[in-house]
Amino acid sequence: MSGDARRRPSRQPPGRLLLLGAVVIALVATVGVRLTYVQLVQRASLTQVASRQHLREVTVPAPRGRIVDATGQPIATSRTVMVVSVDTSTLQGQRDKGRAVLGRLAVLLRVPVQQLSREVTPCAPKVPKPCFTGTPYQPVPVLVDADEKVVLEITEHREDYAGVLVGTASVRTYPRHTLASHSIGYIGAAAQSDVDSTAASDRPVDAQDVVGKSGLEQYYDAVLRGTDGIDTVEIDPRGTVIGQVDQKSPVPGDTLVSSLDVDLQSAVENALTQQLAKARTETDPKTHQKYQATTGAVVVMDPKTGRVLALASDPGYDPNEFVGGISQQQYAALTSERAGTPLLSRAVQGQLAPGSTFKLSTATAITTDGQSSVDTNGACPPYLTIGTTQKKNFESESLPGPISLSKALAFSCDTFFYAYALQTWQSDQQRVAQQKPALEPMQKTATEYGFGTRPGIDLPADEQAAGTIITRAKKQRAWERNQATYCARARTGYPEVTDPTRRAYFTKLARENCTDGWRYNGGDAADFAIGQGDVLVSPLQLAIAYSALVNGGTVYHPTLGRAIVNPHGRLIRNINATVARKLDVPAPVLDYIRASLTFGNGLDPTGQPPFAGFPLDTVNIGGKTGTAEVYGQQDTSWFVSWANAGHATGSTLGPDAGTPDYVVVAMIQHGGTGATNAAPLVRKVYDSIYGLDGQAAVLPGGVPFSALPAITPYAQDGLPSYLIGRAQPRVARSADPTSRSADPTSRPGGTALPAVELTFAPAVRRPARPPAALPSGPRDRGSG
Amino acid sequence: MSDYGSPARTAGLIAGPTAARRTVSDPARGAVSPWRRIDWVLVGSAVALAVLGSLLVWAATKQRQLDAGADPAYYFKRHLMNAVVGIVLGVVITGINYRLLRRLAPAVYLLSCLGLVAVLAIGTTINGAHSWIALPAGFEVQPSEFAKVGLILSMATLLSQRRERKNRQRPFLDVPLALLLAAVPMGLIVLQPDIGTIFVFIFTIFGMFCVAGVSWRWMLALVAAGVVVAFLAVSMHVLKNYQLDRFRAFTSPDKETLGAAYNVRQARIAIGSGGWTGTGLFKGPQTNGGYVPEQQTDFVFSVAGEELGFVGAAGIVVLFALMLWRALRISGRSPDLFGRLVAAGVASWFCFQVFQNIGMDLGLMPVTGLPLPFVSYGGSSMFANFLAVGLLLNVHLRSTVEPRGR
Repeated sequence: MSGDARRRPSRQPPGRLLLLGAVVIALVATVGVRLTYVQLVQRASLTQVASRQHLREVTVPAPRGRIVDATGQPIATSRTVMVVSVDTSTLQGQRDKGRAVLGRLAVLLRVPVQQLSREVTPCAPKVPKPCFTGTPYQPVPVLVDADEKVVLEITEHREDYAGVLVGTASVRTYPRHTLASHSIGYIGAAAQSDVDSTAASDRPVDAQDVVGKSGLEQYYDAVLRGTDGIDTVEIDPRGTVIGQVDQKSPVPGDTLVSSLDVDLQSAVENALTQQLAKARTETDPKTHQKYQATTGAVVVMDPKTGRVLALASDPGYDPNEFVGGISQQQYAALTSERAGTPLLSRAVQGQLAPGSTFKLSTATAITTDGQSSVDTNGACPPYLTIGTTQKKNFESESLPGPISLSKALAFSCDTFFYAYALQTWQSDQQRVAQQKPALEPMQKTATEYGFGTRPGIDLPADEQAAGTIITRAKKQRAWERNQATYCARARTGYPEVTDPTRRAYFTKLARENCTDGWRYNGGDAADFAIGQGDVLVSPLQLAIAYSALVNGGTVYHPTLGRAIVNPHGRLIRNINATVARKLDVPAPVLDYIRASLTFGNGLDPTGQPPFAGFPLDTVNIGGKTGTAEVYGQQDTSWFVSWANAGHATGSTLGPDAGTPDYVVVAMIQHGGTGATNAAPLVRKVYDSIYGLDGQAAVLPGGVPFSALPAITPYAQDGLPSYLIGRAQPRVARSADPTSRSADPTSRPGGTALPAVELTFAPAVRRPARPPAALPSGPRDRGSG
Repeated sequence: MSDYGSPARTAGLIAGPTAARRTVSDPARGAVSPWRRIDWVLVGSAVALAVLGSLLVWAATKQRQLDAGADPAYYFKRHLMNAVVGIVLGVVITGINYRLLRRLAPAVYLLSCLGLVAVLAIGTTINGAHSWIALPAGFEVQPSEFAKVGLILSMATLLSQRRERKNRQRPFLDVPLALLLAAVPMGLIVLQPDIGTIFVFIFTIFGMFCVAGVSWRWMLALVAAGVVVAFLAVSMHVLKNYQLDRFRAFTSPDKETLGAAYNVRQARIAIGSGGWTGTGLFKGPQTNGGYVPEQQTDFVFSVAGEELGFVGAAGIVVLFALMLWRALRISGRSPDLFGRLVAAGVASWFCFQVFQNIGMDLGLMPVTGLPLPFVSYGGSSMFANFLAVGLLLNVHLRSTVEPRGR
């Protein structure tokens, strides 16, 4: 070093180089410190920013759980379809805000580009509808169930469709179409109310979820919905998906086993449709017109368990129409009154006057009100004068001399029940005059049987009618509510009603109601006794009441659900009908009423003639007809019955009678008397159940299917996955087979869920997995 | 390899083949084998940076090349080829006679000025700067890179000739003459415009003035003049809008994610997400996703940050620190002012360019299109950098070979 110093020209100040050195050191040190800060101190936040910009979480909707019948046959299941979605945040990042891509996509999907761009715009206060209700970072589905051509176009020209994702999704499908549609219900996109109402629950609904909107789909939604999966995908700045980082497989919803039996349901629906068609060809002797037979319903219930085995309502609908969204036009058709409001389940939501079928309740009241008894005899004159009006028997028939209650029921003598109604009404009038509460024994008993309250079946509460049971108090309240309307109508009349007779009748009614509408008079009580006037019930409510009659007095909250089974086929829980109450009626009284209405024991009830030739010695049947009159319309035809193999003898029930296996209720609106259409319809149902129509019995041995069916594990044709790809094939990091086996939903032994197959480079779609690799149910269950 | 100083002078003690080779190859008394006189630390760090650069360039371009259906290693190969050509040029410069080098300086200066004129006449525009001359077969030349070498050589020649002369005529003309000399290429570069290179020139000139012993009064006057010029440039809209945007982006980086601030932000995200050891080469999502524009050139450091982590990024800084140390050391040991100034000029150039480039990635400096020496992809830059290493080695050889005195 000393040599160097000597060589240095003397004029150069050595400090100058040191100064430069110091500057160099300062700059290098600055870089070093800053690098340490950015890379080691800011690391966490910058890493977060990085993952936020190149990762997208794509929700993979869980396949909805199936709904199967009591024998395991599917009624509602899922289908895998291709879905085209748009990643709006990517489009925003494009130079033209995605206009070019949307334009191309609109041409491909054959929709106006304005509509498409509206659909993909996240909803905000100033955004016009239709807008996207999901979160801004979610891809917006724009086409569900895309065809092959669309999918290939998009996947083969990925550069032209940056920000457009093609994936698969599981959509609901109803393989039996209209079968049991009113019980099964339908699905739809979640409304804000669904999101709000489930926010606090352990299964909250997301705005993009598909939820049950009606029927079992709605009632058991939390069970059926499953847990959505999340695909975390890596995207480049243009938004093209370039790989998959993480995958949380969707967990399919549980399977709901229903107590419905599709074979029985199908037989019942066919019988109903045929009966309605037949009725429309026949002439109503009362109106001298063809029966309109507008709607009809059948309920088949197991009175021992409270399970509903078949529930039919006509007209019906195909819930597949709701999959992927229903058009305004379609929905209007399903709710139009002209078409008979197909969406409305007459069996559960129908509210109709029950007619004479209601005499079950009145008869029970007669025998239990503490004043009368089974032995009380009464007269059956052709008519009875109540107040100023004459109330006649059906076709002014009469029976001579005092008759028993049993006979009155079998013959369905209205005047017999009018007399009782009048008697209770008069005694209540005295009590009211003495400031005592009215006893109203008929109303009390009706309420006991479950009339006037929701049946509490496992369907949405707003889809089950409570019906009406009028009382003095209710009538007073209703009058107070409606008096103004009545009085206004009394003044103005009904100029919009064209038929002068009807116009006059309505105006007279309004005038009466204006002044005396609050009054519960003798006529009201008489109407009530025979299920007319202000008594409205649903077919299901009648099934519940008659089930109680024949099962020893148990009033059920009936059920359509039988059990819940997980996707692997293991039972999670059974669903059993709960007991609403036990009737406070002695067993002999119930037996007495039942015996009065049992066929083939000499009383010859009104429902029996249509069963001429029916093998009553092998199938024990009883039942009550009903013919409900509605002013200005054709009568409602009712028949309520029960049946079991074996037979009863004598005027009381034989020792082998036992509890019937079935209670069947049939209703045909505008269908004439109970014996005209409803009873023959029920006979057809029994023919099917017991195999009496020359065909095999729908229910083997004529007994309901009681064991839980073996449910096949979920073996869909592939769970949803997102097609991921770019120009060059790449191997995804998560394709590691070990990460799949860690999936809690996949299990060895054939019950495994099919592992989601990721399809990269979709220009050539990878063939589906060989079918042998898919679990296929019972065959594999044995070996597993 | 690194410590050559004292063994060089005690060569007699070295026995065996080394002694024999010295006797055969270099009979001069007191001289040492040229192999042993090479500054291997300098050469080693330059080559290491070039090789590391080739890997980073490869990682930055692989996915894009794959997407385009092209050879994924294309840029890797080109970068290595550029390095080899650069090393050959460096070897040639190292071997040139020291005196010849001084005499060649005016010619080099003229050539680089001609190159800058040519680029204005026939150059192509990339990213707003008119800095490249397209050559056949897809090659491009960026004359401003070579102009840096030209500036250092010509400035060193001018200053050393005037200062080493006894009985100097008008010593107060040193600085104006040198500034006049620098003004020609700088003016041409402003016309391109290439603000980054202008900054490199200014810093280099200051470094050389400093070592040349220019008085503090001159230095302060120049700083004041610089501030005035900068102010006028902004207020009279001499700067292009995109250039101003870059400065605005630098002062408030989070205002917009697109546009000028986008690059800086993405580069910083890449570096920050690397952590201690990075994602591993070719595995950075930020790099593979193509989030950082110009990543193989201006923002190549962010690849190191993401994929090699702090270890790799700091390693690059350390390699540059080693180079700068050796350059200053060579400057300090130079037997004459010319060598001193050349080495100091190269050190200033590299120092500022490294600071500016990495500082831009880290948000310390505004965006200017300056490559990271040896690491960024680009032939002209690579050649110029190795020419500069050749100059350093030439000066270094001179300091160990020249007999004492003159």
